Amino acid sequence: MSPIYAVVWGTVALFGATAVYGLVWAIRTGQMRGFGRGALSIFDDEEPVGMVTDAFPGSIDASEDAGDRP
Amino acid sequence: MNAAASFGAEPTVAWRAEVDASCAYPVVAFFVSAVFWLLFGTVLALVASIKMHTPGFLSGAEWLTFGRVRPVHLNTMIYGWGSMAGIGTLLWLQARLSRVRLPLQLPLVVGCALWNVGVAGGSIAILTGHGTSVEWLEFPYGWSFLFAGIFVVVMAASLMMFSARRVGHVYVSQWYLFGSVLWFPFLYVMANALIHGALARGVVQAATNWWFAHNVLGLWFTPIGLATVYYLLPKVLGRPIHSYYLSLLGFWTLALFYNWAGTHHLVGGPLPAWLITVGIVGSVMMFIPVTTVAVNHHMTMKGHFALLKVSPTLRFIVLGAMSYTVVSFQGSLQSLRTVNEVTHFTHYTIAHAHLGVYGFFTMVMFGAIYYIAPRLTGREWSSPRLIKVHFWGTALGMAVYWLGLTWGGILQGLAMDNPDVAFLDVVRHTLPYLWSRTFAGILLATGHVAFAVLAWRMFTLKGRRLPEPASAPSAVLAGGAG
Amino acid sequence: MNRAVFLYVGVLLTVLLSFTGLVSIPEKQLGGLQPLVDADGTQYPVPPTGLVAEGRGVYIADGCIYCHSQQVRPEGFGDDIERGWGTRRTVARDHIYDAPPLLGTMRTGPDLANIAVRQPNENWHFLHLYNPRITSPGSNMPPFPFLFRKVPVEVQVPHDALSFPPGWEVPGYAVVPTRRAKALVAYLTSLDHTHPVPEVPQ
Repeated sequence: MSPIYAVVWGTVALFGATAVYGLVWAIRTGQMRGFGRGALSIFDDEEPVGMVTDAFPGSIDASEDAGDRP
Repeated sequence: MNAAASFGAEPTVAWRAEVDASCAYPVVAFFVSAVFWLLFGTVLALVASIKMHTPGFLSGAEWLTFGRVRPVHLNTMIYGWGSMAGIGTLLWLQARLSRVRLPLQLPLVVGCALWNVGVAGGSIAILTGHGTSVEWLEFPYGWSFLFAGIFVVVMAASLMMFSARRVGHVYVSQWYLFGSVLWFPFLYVMANALIHGALARGVVQAATNWWFAHNVLGLWFTPIGLATVYYLLPKVLGRPIHSYYLSLLGFWTLALFYNWAGTHHLVGGPLPAWLITVGIVGSVMMFIPVTTVAVNHHMTMKGHFALLKVSPTLRFIVLGAMSYTVVSFQGSLQSLRTVNEVTHFTHYTIAHAHLGVYGFFTMVMFGAIYYIAPRLTGREWSSPRLIKVHFWGTALGMAVYWLGLTWGGILQGLAMDNPDVAFLDVVRHTLPYLWSRTFAGILLATGHVAFAVLAWRMFTLKGRRLPEPASAPSAVLAGGAG
Repeated sequence: MNRAVFLYVGVLLTVLLSFTGLVSIPEKQLGGLQPLVDADGTQYPVPPTGLVAEGRGVYIADGCIYCHSQQVRPEGFGDDIERGWGTRRTVARDHIYDAPPLLGTMRTGPDLANIAVRQPNENWHFLHLYNPRITSPGSNMPPFPFLFRKVPVEVQVPHDALSFPPGWEVPGYAVVPTRRAKALVAYLTSLDHTHPVPEVPQ
């Protein structure tokens, strides 16, 4: 049993120490900046804002992209 | 560095198609397996449900006794359907969001096959009388080594893609996925070591058990479900998430508070009062992240609800996201001692649990599979009518399930708290609600059969071919479109 | 840019914190609990041994926890004590030898923490397990016929055969409990948590 306790507590201590170190580092180097862009990052020229990208089967024209319509 | 070069190689203009193609075999393997376990778990669910109001049903067979069928239902749904659909989805999401090809494809496919062996083996073990009666960890603990080992591969693939990411920005879904992929192994290893390694004894084991089980909901399933909605909702609509700042707040408050909710399963139990109170506080604080998520999703959808007619994925994920809000508010309330006094130990809790794992997580996974599968196979889903049968069967089934057992559970709890009502009378009064649950189960099963037929046709490549994705008029590369 | 580190830190810290709070600290607080020893030397609780321990294994294998709880809630919270399910609430000390504890989370059937006090008669338990409707009309508990053997009655009825109330006998057969049934009943008739404990002032 004792070796398992050592492993468990050792792991907890190791993770805890790295977590605290990383937190201090993150605060010092100011990691929280500029959020507005993030929401747009999943769009691009192929699937831009305004384009609906899902439809029931059989309702998409085979010849072009779906565009903003049912 | 060779492996990294191939999966992390500079994406071309058609990066999306390449990323999707790299995911095909592993993600399809996980999805096919998930659908199998969904069906298997559904059969067991119906058997268990019938047994509760008709105890003579299949009662001669030892291996089908309720006390064995019920945990096999839970474990095949959690580790079979839920986790495998979740793993397939998280791998694809991470690949898309990092804009890198999926690495470790062969190990993931092998891992998927072995995971199936684990779920099957663990289930057979329970049915033959070797279940552990530790809730959510009923497989004999030897199987946990297999699951943990396979999960290392899943974690590695996810973290490799994340660290090779070619987008300057870390999208909100990626925070949730990062969380789930680190949280789950920690929970799983610690819980198994402490409980099955018998390091935690007596009631501390109960606290550990529920720290684990509730965190599987809060730190494994919920983040995957939310990551999925945060990506697919804007993607389907073509509209960005309403408030990115709210997303941040929602993630960190979830990470902080959800962790502590576990002991609300033990209100009134033989544990120190402070431990129970901490669980109640964590549960009530969940109002904050759940409200931010609800507002964010609603504002993103606002004015576009008409698109629900148009998109199967949207129907499932919107219903799922709404269920998340309802089940979470319900959960916060039922952790309060005054409510818990009535609802604890009753069918009310079962209705709540299913609203979460089914109404929220399963519906979101259905939506994800509807979106992802065609992009992996290049085929359309074969029948809009079957999709509608799937949607309405499961939506109505879940509604009947939840209404019947919530109301029945409240009555059951009130009667149980009245010492003048004989226990057998309490039982008698629950019977109509137990029948309603079987009826709901038939509706759900109908939906699942429709889905299985669709999945069969999709993954054996029987649908109509999708048009090739149009090439972008300008180069689309790393750094995001802005 | 390395938001990843910040994420990593936050993710680990949050789960480590809850682990500390919900697992480590309770273990510190309760891990050292000892059994009580009465003036005449009787210990409470005692670790299950022999047939009782075997019976606990049958309870686990057949998933009894999915319908039965084993925890008496405090006086004034729910009506467990008023219902006659115990003389006091159950406490951590009651479970120091329970691995795993079988607290349960459902009461499709009644709480069993003190079932030995309510139903001390072994034959009642055998009948109830064989077919719950014999002792409890309207019960939705599953029957456990596989814990018994039907033995054709030749000359003598086996001494441990079940004694059925009129109308329930199986003609020509005696129903005999297997070892598993005897173990389970030994376990059930050991479930008694009425021993006073200092945590609950009388």
